[in-house]
Amino acid sequence: MKDPRDVFICRCEEVTLREIEEAIEEGYTTVDDVKRITRAGMGLCQGRSCSKVIARLISEKTGIPLSDLLQTGYRYPVRPEKMMVLDNDGEGDE
Amino acid sequence: MMDREIVVIGAGPAGLSAALEAARAGAEVLLVDENHKPGGQLFKQIHKFFGSKDHQAGVRGIDIGVQLLEEAKELKIDVWLNAEVCGIFNQNEVWIVRDKERSVTVRAERIILATGATENAVNFPGWTLPGVMGAGAAQTMINIHRVLPGQKVLMIGSGNVGVIVSYQLLQAGADVKAVVEAAPRLGGYGVHTAKVRRAGVPFYTSHTVLEARGKDHVESAVIGRIDERWKPIPGTEIELEVDTICIAAGLTPLVELAFAAGCRPVFSPVLGGMVPVHDAAMRTSLPSLYVAGDISGVEEASTAMEEGRMAGLSAARSLGHIDDATYRIRYEAVENRLLALRSGLFGQKRRDAKEQIVSQSQG
Amino acid sequence: MNRIFEHPILGPLEDTELVRIFVDGEPVEARKGEVIAAALIATGKQYFRKTIKLQEPRGIYCGIGRCTDCVMTVNGVPNVRTCVTEVEEGMVIETQLGYGKWGRGINS
Repeated sequence: MKDPRDVFICRCEEVTLREIEEAIEEGYTTVDDVKRITRAGMGLCQGRSCSKVIARLISEKTGIPLSDLLQTGYRYPVRPEKMMVLDNDGEGDE
Repeated sequence: MMDREIVVIGAGPAGLSAALEAARAGAEVLLVDENHKPGGQLFKQIHKFFGSKDHQAGVRGIDIGVQLLEEAKELKIDVWLNAEVCGIFNQNEVWIVRDKERSVTVRAERIILATGATENAVNFPGWTLPGVMGAGAAQTMINIHRVLPGQKVLMIGSGNVGVIVSYQLLQAGADVKAVVEAAPRLGGYGVHTAKVRRAGVPFYTSHTVLEARGKDHVESAVIGRIDERWKPIPGTEIELEVDTICIAAGLTPLVELAFAAGCRPVFSPVLGGMVPVHDAAMRTSLPSLYVAGDISGVEEASTAMEEGRMAGLSAARSLGHIDDATYRIRYEAVENRLLALRSGLFGQKRRDAKEQIVSQSQG
Repeated sequence: MNRIFEHPILGPLEDTELVRIFVDGEPVEARKGEVIAAALIATGKQYFRKTIKLQEPRGIYCGIGRCTDCVMTVNGVPNVRTCVTEVEEGMVIETQLGYGKWGRGINS
């Protein structure tokens, strides 16, 4: 059987469990910090499938309550957009 | 910048119901959805919903969806599809990107967030192989696109989604090889579980999936028993010949917009995780923001519709479109229906969880 | 063949106009208006792309256009979500390897 630590936690950026655990061991103990250092959660789905898992992993390793970890810093835009849309605020349609 | 009285974000059952209720009350409504078709997950639900006649019992999700859309058309509600809400500023400016290419800002007096929930992942070796998918993905393929994603299926999770989709896979002609459930007891509605059982599908409780095997696609899956600490017990592995593995491991509310806008969160493990605090009228900690449906806690389509009605009603009333007496009557009607939907073995748990959330909104 | 022709609730699959699309150079018959992913699943295609880092195969995962696992290069444009994009007559669809490359018929 495959090494379970090679399992991807972030499917979009292909970040493994091993990489995430290492980041946590190095002291990155918020979802945002783990994201920054491993790129997990920075892909096209923006952490949709991995954020919760990463929070759980941090909680298991550090004892930090899950509810504290799940309050990640949400920032706009909450959808990935091309830079050009920032420049062309329409007057409104219809 | 354009102005609208009420902007509803998400055109699933909750959002549609909210928009309809608010529009009926006379409010000027804009309904936006990031997808190219409205309806959220409603059009995948080909099974009959539970409840009394009031709750559309005996009616299929697809038919309810058609009905809601027709009503939206009749009321001439403005609907923007392919419209992604990227942010909410100052609690009333909605930044929308249309067709992935142009920004529009809409100033809204009230905003109703009905963004739903997303399927949870289970990270076992091989889970990224083609053939491993969310149960919702399989449901989309068979019920909307009418193609079978595979012939031999392993279902992970025996909750409502797991057993309903298993049943629908059988109806579509697939061979469901097994349903595995990590807990010692099955977790879904008895009616659907019984149907799947009668079809001869084995259920493995206290089991989990250990690995998906295959080169370019799933060819087999290994399942095994787990102990009380959820650890796999060596020697209990079973390899199943499957080409599809569906993950039905619960849903998590899509709350990013709500929290980025400043809504106060509360942790509700029963209802999927972090959710925006809201009162019984579905208003969040920010007076101009309301929530409805799975974003406020994962339940079902029927509760989503009722919550949508509640949010639409409350938002419209706060703008003066409904007088207090009328509001009270309609509010109570919705509340009674919600109570009825939150009864029974499964419903009671959800009801308690909802009451916990609402209690956080006072003070 | 993975199409569901007869269904106890949804009834028989209605006849519809067919369109011809090209998948990695091979002509494929698809139903007008269906999403690319459905047309490909109907042919039994094993995977839709290979990932950037480890060149591993991927297919559909969420099925509703949110996870982007199902993307392929369509008419020379990479990263097209096949589970929410409809087929069109003459469409050229290619298994995407890594980032994909812009331009018709080019893949590396």
